[in-house]
Amino acid sequence: MADQANFEQDAMQYAPQLYSAALRMTRNPADAEDVVQETFLKAYRAYDSFTEGTNLKAWLYRILTNTYINKYRKKQRRPSEVELGELQDLYLFKRLGEQSGAQVSAESQALDMFVDEDIIEAIESLPENFRLPVLYADVEGFSYKEIAEILDIPIGTVMSRLHRGRKGLQRKLWNLAVEHGLVEPRE
Amino acid sequence: MSGCDNAVDYVYQYIDDELTYTHKARIKWHLRRCGHCMSAFQFERSLKKKIAEGGRSEPPPELFDTLRALIQQERNKGDSDC
Repeated sequence: MADQANFEQDAMQYAPQLYSAALRMTRNPADAEDVVQETFLKAYRAYDSFTEGTNLKAWLYRILTNTYINKYRKKQRRPSEVELGELQDLYLFKRLGEQSGAQVSAESQALDMFVDEDIIEAIESLPENFRLPVLYADVEGFSYKEIAEILDIPIGTVMSRLHRGRKGLQRKLWNLAVEHGLVEPRE
Repeated sequence: MSGCDNAVDYVYQYIDDELTYTHKARIKWHLRRCGHCMSAFQFERSLKKKIAEGGRSEPPPELFDTLRALIQQERNKGDSDC
């Protein structure tokens, strides 16, 4: 059992990344701050029930996720698996490879054309069901097992949503590159 | 070609380090012999890194103070209950 007196010392280090994740969820700084404040309050109150030595970061993300869902999901219609439509494997790699006779590793260099704002826009464009697994795997670096625990879904569901979510994110990045005139889409 | 399909099916588990040692070795064996798959895997890895670096936002500077004050308030409330 964890001691409530140590809560700040143990948990405060995760505040910046929890805020960043909350911002990707809510897409709004004021809402993100609300979610983080509520998360810390709930976590502090429940800290007695946290088993010391287990995964504190994942525990905090679980509270963050539940706080966000309880507060905001009610407003949204139920997301479905078909929202992303048909998506090809290696979507962005293939599109970039079709550009001007690409040589080996040209695709990886082409990633330099994307700025942080593009990455953020692409993540935030994903339906929530896909956004959270992508956020947790790619930005927060959680394992599939940790994501399954945080989102309370089976590991197979984590993998399929992550897979589809990443492809959806790649399609969004490609569309942004087309919009900005950085690439020439091939018909 | 089936070697490529097999590898691509597991590209995310590979870059996320979620495969067993043997499975990973099998895919590595294919990647050493297939430049196209190797480029694709390197691309997915670079993209994951790019998302990790670009996907984070800085918190407002007063966040720590706000949270500390919130917890202090909660702590005081608990003390006065006793």
